Amino acid sequence: MAAYFLHLAILAGIYIILTISLNLIIGYAGQVSLGHAAFYGIGAYTSALVSVYWHFPFPLALTAAVLTTAVCGLALGLPTLRLREDYLAIVTLGFGVIVDMVALNLEITGGPDGIVGIPAPIILGLSFRSQPRYLGLVVLCVLSVLGLTYRLVQSYHGRALRAIRDHEVTAQVMGINTPAYKIAVFTLAAALAGLAGVLYAHYISFINPESFGLHTSILALCMVVLGGMGSLAGSIVGALILSVLPELLRRFHAYQDLLYGALLVGLLIWRPEGIMGRGNMSLKFLQKE
Amino acid sequence: MFLQQLLNGLTTGSAYALIALGYTMIYGILGLINFAQGEIYMCGAFVAVLLLASGQVSFYLAFAAGMAAAALLGLALERIAFRPLRGTHPLVPLISAIGASIFLQSLALLLFGPNDRAFPMQFTFQTISLAGLPVSTLQGAILGAALLFMALLVAFVRYTRYGKAIVACALDRDTARLMGINVDRMVALTFLIGSALSGAAGVMMAIYYNATYPRMGLLPGLKAFSAAILGGVGNIPGAILGGLVLGIAESLGAAYISSGYKDAVAFVILILVLLLRPQGILAGWQRH
Repeated sequence: MAAYFLHLAILAGIYIILTISLNLIIGYAGQVSLGHAAFYGIGAYTSALVSVYWHFPFPLALTAAVLTTAVCGLALGLPTLRLREDYLAIVTLGFGVIVDMVALNLEITGGPDGIVGIPAPIILGLSFRSQPRYLGLVVLCVLSVLGLTYRLVQSYHGRALRAIRDHEVTAQVMGINTPAYKIAVFTLAAALAGLAGVLYAHYISFINPESFGLHTSILALCMVVLGGMGSLAGSIVGALILSVLPELLRRFHAYQDLLYGALLVGLLIWRPEGIMGRGNMSLKFLQKE
Repeated sequence: MFLQQLLNGLTTGSAYALIALGYTMIYGILGLINFAQGEIYMCGAFVAVLLLASGQVSFYLAFAAGMAAAALLGLALERIAFRPLRGTHPLVPLISAIGASIFLQSLALLLFGPNDRAFPMQFTFQTISLAGLPVSTLQGAILGAALLFMALLVAFVRYTRYGKAIVACALDRDTARLMGINVDRMVALTFLIGSALSGAAGVMMAIYYNATYPRMGLLPGLKAFSAAILGGVGNIPGAILGGLVLGIAESLGAAYISSGYKDAVAFVILILVLLLRPQGILAGWQRH
């Protein structure tokens, strides 16, 4: 039972990173990525491939994977982010489909069977094979990501991003280079999703395209919207709820996607700010107005 | 071989064009993308297949019912997922439409199961030789019907009072309201027409591929969106041209490059268009 809780905690941690990265795009840059699972998958596959075939040590594999996803994010962001927000949604959705197709068709990625035998991380001689240690690693990553994004959104650059989200033209008039900001944050978010993918691959030790399809992208989107777009605390809450809830409601597994769809529409109509609202790291939503 | 592929491409392209018209009209009037367009296409196909499988109705009635069901679904979507969110950040209706799309897809999965359903066809189609080229009468019928729908739409938009009112709303919603046009009704009408066309495309492709399944709308929806961008969003002739061009490009790509990556062609075109000519190939022409 303890092992099962540890397992849930590790997965929740990975989802928190994924959700925060998507929230950077949605809540701070005002864009939608529907192929976020593709970045997650590219991170997982890159790290798995270089570890299994070239025996890269974990820190190097992690760096390679994060850089690869960042480059993919940049390549996708450059043509689309100069345009309207809805274009990014479709292009990333298409990107997700293409990545899925490539992973299914290439020989090196193992097609539908995926890659097996991904080694547990070893950092400076310390093995992270056991669950408690892996949880420690994940928590460390979550905290670093949180620290990084918190600093980012509180800074000048974070204010610039929020200005772009709220009114792009005004932001431009104020002298903010809006395309550059959007591309930068999209690239960063892709890299963070890649990090989440790396953590997933080396924990589960076996990956196939199924884990990185549209379903995962939608799940991440639900986590962001449920927690609150533009709220880091919301991302944590959203990710925790939606990674633990399905485990408790196993019996209703068939209705999961139906629920997610209804959740998205319902939340946007009745509580568009999500559970945590935009109040960062605060419990203001509990107080009366 | 080449001409055969061209014809195949035109057939699927005409379906993309019909869905792209839905995207483009809704975009033109509301400035947002209806992500659930692919599910409307799926709904049209399912209603027609289920009605025909019951053996009680004729083909034409089932076809019309498919279109009507799609149109009703489009109206319901507009009411539930779009209208309450008008005037919010553009991100909000976009995500709500994605939610609606997921909801409809999984609802269909629960109701009808994941397996393909064959289309209970009442006619037999043969392959006839046209100037030495083998042409399936099915392809001819699909192409003819699609072109007829498109012609009807263009005539409706250009020559009727309601069509002109829709164009007026697309040009400037506030001014249109001042001129006494009921904007809400025009938006609903746009959803109705766009969805009916997508439903028609769904029935046609259900016959063409002989497969109806809950996720059938995902890829055609995406490709039709690419087609709408290719022609310039908001541009009706552009959507038609974009759909046909995309269908042909896909069919030729599958034949001469690799069939495994057939579905990727549309996205490569989409990204190229966004990079090189984001205003679409027909930009500069008169809108609508």
